[in-house]
Amino acid sequence: MLSVAASAIPRLRLAAPPRPRLPPARTHWLRPLSSATQVPPAAAAGAPGSLEPPDLPRLASAARISLSPQEAEELEPKIRQFVDWFGQLQAVDLESIEPSIRAGTAAGSSLREDKPEAFVNRDAIVEAIPSYDEPYIKVPRVLNKE
Amino acid sequence: MALTLLRGMRTSIPFRSNSGMFFTVLRPQLSRFTTRATESAQATEPKAAPKSIQLATKEAAEQKTQGFEAVIGIETHVQLSTVTKAFCSCPYNYGSQPNSTICPTCMGHPGTLPVLNEKVIECAVKLGLALNCEISMTSKFDRKQYFYPDLPKGYQISQFDIPIAKKGYVDLDLPVEFGGGHRKFGITRVHMEEDAGKLLHSESGSYSQVDLNRAGVPLLEIVSEPDMRTGIEAAEYGAELQRIVRYLGVSNGNMQEGSLRCDVNVSVRPVGQSEFGTKVEIKNMNSFSEINRAIDYEISRQILLHKEGQADQIVQETRLWDESSQKTFTMRKKEGLADYRYFPEPDLPEVVLTADYIDEISKSMPELPEAKRRRYENMGLSMQDVLFLANDDNVAHFFDSTLEHGADAKLACNWIMGDIAAYLKNEKLSINETKLTPLELSELIASIKNGTISGKIGKEILVELIAKGGTVKGVIEEKDLVQIADPAAIEAMVDKVIADNPKQLEQYRAGKTKLQGFFAGQVMKASKGKANPVLLNKILGEKLNAN
Repeated sequence: MLSVAASAIPRLRLAAPPRPRLPPARTHWLRPLSSATQVPPAAAAGAPGSLEPPDLPRLASAARISLSPQEAEELEPKIRQFVDWFGQLQAVDLESIEPSIRAGTAAGSSLREDKPEAFVNRDAIVEAIPSYDEPYIKVPRVLNKE
Repeated sequence: MALTLLRGMRTSIPFRSNSGMFFTVLRPQLSRFTTRATESAQATEPKAAPKSIQLATKEAAEQKTQGFEAVIGIETHVQLSTVTKAFCSCPYNYGSQPNSTICPTCMGHPGTLPVLNEKVIECAVKLGLALNCEISMTSKFDRKQYFYPDLPKGYQISQFDIPIAKKGYVDLDLPVEFGGGHRKFGITRVHMEEDAGKLLHSESGSYSQVDLNRAGVPLLEIVSEPDMRTGIEAAEYGAELQRIVRYLGVSNGNMQEGSLRCDVNVSVRPVGQSEFGTKVEIKNMNSFSEINRAIDYEISRQILLHKEGQADQIVQETRLWDESSQKTFTMRKKEGLADYRYFPEPDLPEVVLTADYIDEISKSMPELPEAKRRRYENMGLSMQDVLFLANDDNVAHFFDSTLEHGADAKLACNWIMGDIAAYLKNEKLSINETKLTPLELSELIASIKNGTISGKIGKEILVELIAKGGTVKGVIEEKDLVQIADPAAIEAMVDKVIADNPKQLEQYRAGKTKLQGFFAGQVMKASKGKANPVLLNKILGEKLNAN
């Protein structure tokens, strides 16, 4: 699945090449999107449009995916393309743009009244639980491991 | 859970300058509060020499900490008492049959979308205002990702960089028995998030059990500034948050049910050092007194390590309070920073508030505990009375209505704190579960004041009213309890008692004057408690001393 997605990464086209300058201060919030939260700011902000290369073993463990060293090696350049794409986004000049917290969705109120409504097909949910031990969901033993 | 979040913030550049500022501000702030506390205590209790008590406890505390000071910050999770969950219409009731109130949304099924409960925003704004916070007109939700079986979606919907409220403070008064004093503690932020399910670890079994009824229930997380220095300050901070959420009606604040949970961060540093020591998180405290003791234990443990030159043994970890041994134990060591990979929740729009909405909520805010305490203090009540009355919203309300019916504040307070509180404690009732009404309490106080009944009879009537209801007038008439204030009638009773006890009279006249109490008791008994005691003693004294 990953390889299919990775092969179709669009390249971001910039109308003009980015000016060589330090990224604006507020781009720091974008960093957690990459895997580079523990990278010193200087490293991430080093060259415009470049981000820390992905650490495949760490990403895999964060996603609870097992990867063989060979798979990791194969995937690395593909994931790097994603990261580079964000690198290009980082380089866009946003100086004159009003920051938007997030993309807007539905217009108007999207809130719900505090009125209860029990889900009618509870049996179907329970049936879909892989391991059920009435009335609990059964899971492998966990003891305070995060 | 926001522990790591905060830690992350402190180390990141935009916040570092902030926490540096905190130190320069903190010291003068604290000294100002101490002064103010002393002043107010002196104003209300001039006789009790509060200054010396306060100094004494302060000195004792300093001696115990021997050149070290503790820094305490608290993260509190408050479960909101909404009818439904935060993002789906499932009802939530504590104690329901496990996995009975679940739906595809709170179970994290693919294709489901969260829709925010409007009540959650209302509760958050109310609490934000009550904690004197800046309210964010626009805030958003983020996904905090971690894998745990009680979290069906694999992420918790929370608020990361833009909480709904921030930069507030809370005012409180320490209990008189702990030296008293007014304190102000900073509130870093308040944010909205959802609760996880409940995980049960079967002792024998090789598996764990999950109940997802609680998954998706709305929480407000309140993060304090690291402004507290002792266990009692931390416990009182928690107690004040409990009072505030109860006054506001946003949560039942019940710690046993887990509706209010406190995670405490404690570190110790030499006095005068500006950097924090290594902080340790303590969990598993089920009451405010446990919080107090757990923190004081942890402070002494850390100070001892410092003094023995083993400060490096203090590591960043989570410790559990064990109530039976009165100690904290390592639960898990922190292995680096947890990486929650926060990102904006794409399935929810941003939360946009209007000034009108906030105004409307501010107008609907009840009188809060701090305002109540200051108002009661201005009535001339002692701090002990003030704290008792303002502690419970229902009690404060009862007291206020009693005063509205014309009762004297000190007398009403004495009845509530004395006989009424004792009855409630015995019967395990709350004040609004009894049959006594504020109107009848005010009538009772008035009947004693105008001499219709004696104080002693008043106590009997109270028991009747509180258990069976009815009116003061009704009980007085029914039981013929009107005070005997006719000097002739009392004189007759006194004469009879003296005549019936010649031996005691002889002893009295031989100098054993303490026996007046015996005679008074006999007369009171003869009058079935109805004799006016002042009149009785006056007449009795005259008769005994007359030759």
